[in-house]
Amino acid sequence: MATQSLPETEPATVTVVGPGPAPRRRGSLRGSRRRFVVALVAPAVVFMVLVHLLPAIGGFYLSFKNLNLFTFRQLFDAPWAGFENYRTILFEDNPLRSGFTGAVRNTAIYTFWTVAGTIGGGLAVALLLNREMRGIKVVRTLMLTPWIVPSFVVAVLWQFMWQSDVGIINKVLVDYSGVLGERPVWLIGENSLWAIIVPSIWRGLPFAMLIFLAGLQAMPKELHEAAAIDGAGAFKRFRYITLPLLRPLIGVQLLFGVIYAAYQFSIPYVMFGSNPGPDADLMMTLIVRQSFSNNLFGYGSAVSVLLMLAMLVWVAIWYRAFKRDLEVA
Amino acid sequence: MTQRRLVNLGLDALTWLVLLVMLAPVLWLVISSLQDDRELATGAYDLLHPTLDAFTGMWQTIDFERFFVNSLVICTVAALLATAFASSAGYALARFRFRGSRVFGLTVIGTQLIPGSMFLLPLFIGFIWINQNVGLPLYDTHVGMIIVYTAFFTPVAIFFMRSFFLAIPRDLEEAAMVDGCTPFKAFVKIVLPNAAPGLVATFVYAFLFAWDELLFVANLTQDTAETIPIGIRTFIGNYQQRTAQLMAAGVVSTLPVLIAFFLTQRWLVRGLTAGAVKG
Repeated sequence: MATQSLPETEPATVTVVGPGPAPRRRGSLRGSRRRFVVALVAPAVVFMVLVHLLPAIGGFYLSFKNLNLFTFRQLFDAPWAGFENYRTILFEDNPLRSGFTGAVRNTAIYTFWTVAGTIGGGLAVALLLNREMRGIKVVRTLMLTPWIVPSFVVAVLWQFMWQSDVGIINKVLVDYSGVLGERPVWLIGENSLWAIIVPSIWRGLPFAMLIFLAGLQAMPKELHEAAAIDGAGAFKRFRYITLPLLRPLIGVQLLFGVIYAAYQFSIPYVMFGSNPGPDADLMMTLIVRQSFSNNLFGYGSAVSVLLMLAMLVWVAIWYRAFKRDLEVA
Repeated sequence: MTQRRLVNLGLDALTWLVLLVMLAPVLWLVISSLQDDRELATGAYDLLHPTLDAFTGMWQTIDFERFFVNSLVICTVAALLATAFASSAGYALARFRFRGSRVFGLTVIGTQLIPGSMFLLPLFIGFIWINQNVGLPLYDTHVGMIIVYTAFFTPVAIFFMRSFFLAIPRDLEEAAMVDGCTPFKAFVKIVLPNAAPGLVATFVYAFLFAWDELLFVANLTQDTAETIPIGIRTFIGNYQQRTAQLMAAGVVSTLPVLIAFFLTQRWLVRGLTAGAVKG
């Protein structure tokens, strides 16, 4: 958007990036080149401002409004509430607050295990597939399949597989193999958070695997060979060569993995409906339910703002930890 | 030596085993869709006598065709628009350093930080306002959903296209411009054809994500512009016991993206791993 506000008379604000002599341009051509860049960026900017930025500012504004079923007709003119919504969420003892703290806890657990499982599992499978064997190309391609299955299908499918008495998971665990003595209930109660964590890892792992495999394949072989000659075992080579070289990739996966998991909505919503219950309610299902089922729009907006603030804090922490990897990536 | 061969054999076997475990749920989806509704609901399945009944029945149980066509239309148009906008903006980021290019790049990433729930309601209010003041219906219309999805998937698509443009040698355009092409002509006639794999990959990527979107379509549509995820929700809500049909609906909703992915996976994988390989 900064490009749009450029004063008309300013020349030479656009320069060609990269090495080599810049092509000789006369003043008028510079102007046309700048107009060209503005035209290139304009459609994306217009859409992002209209659909992302302005409504997001509107959402921030609504979080200070007392917008509920009774005031909904007034929309942005609803009574000003100041920090009332935030106070209700954070400091008052009421049912809304316990729903909030529960969702925070669930989302933290969900995010931790989903990201850890996705990155750890993805790395392990990538190491396994970074070998030569017959049919390895086919395996690498087919391994991506879970990532292509839409989230809502993942939720429907796993909900069926998790069924306590007729589901295939309990059939395998109890009837066929006898790993467990009695049938666990997966979809209600304390197990229900795992009922969304496992499918999330299953769907996300192939993508992490793909990224790590590409990183492994781009790695110079000489390093490993030299270290092997010097007597470093497989574990030491992984710890001191592979892992540091993969660090930038792990960093990017961590950054977006946490944000993506913290904003997870589809899988719990399709598997459990609008109210997943206190054991599996995530931030997004809570916000959407309070906003659109209970018409507590101001409250919902305030929780959204807090969620985004938490992610900004995460980005800041991440930036401190992975700053030195940014130049490489 | 023999020990080494044994280890290799073991790792080969482990590789196939991991693949089998990862594919098992998908296989189970397909197997279940080929069963009889009543038997499947009691947990019984007959692998030797598959039936396509569920695949014919599901179209009658709910108006699945409507959801399916809506998804195809909305996702195709939105992915096309996102690819077009992303290719021009990605080209600008790859080739020019302009005032605000850093801010622009950061804003593009920043959009990914906004939770959908934060701008869903204002967007809804905006749709209503535009209808009242401009007379353009956006709520529950294809146009409205196309606008939303185009904006959603443009930011990531920009970085996708940028990496493809960075891989194209600059000499190509410069030669064309020396021959008298305008920058615009050089972009359209020289650069874009060379970036064709990137355009295909970006389109498929945006299509995959639009196909998957649920939060906004659930709250911004009612009757006419609902897509497949809403159809699946309707199915669960009203016909949960028709499990085989539900699984068949899952297969049918996965097939388009699966086919699109495997047809273009060479280019798509190149785009997804562009950052990783440069490393």
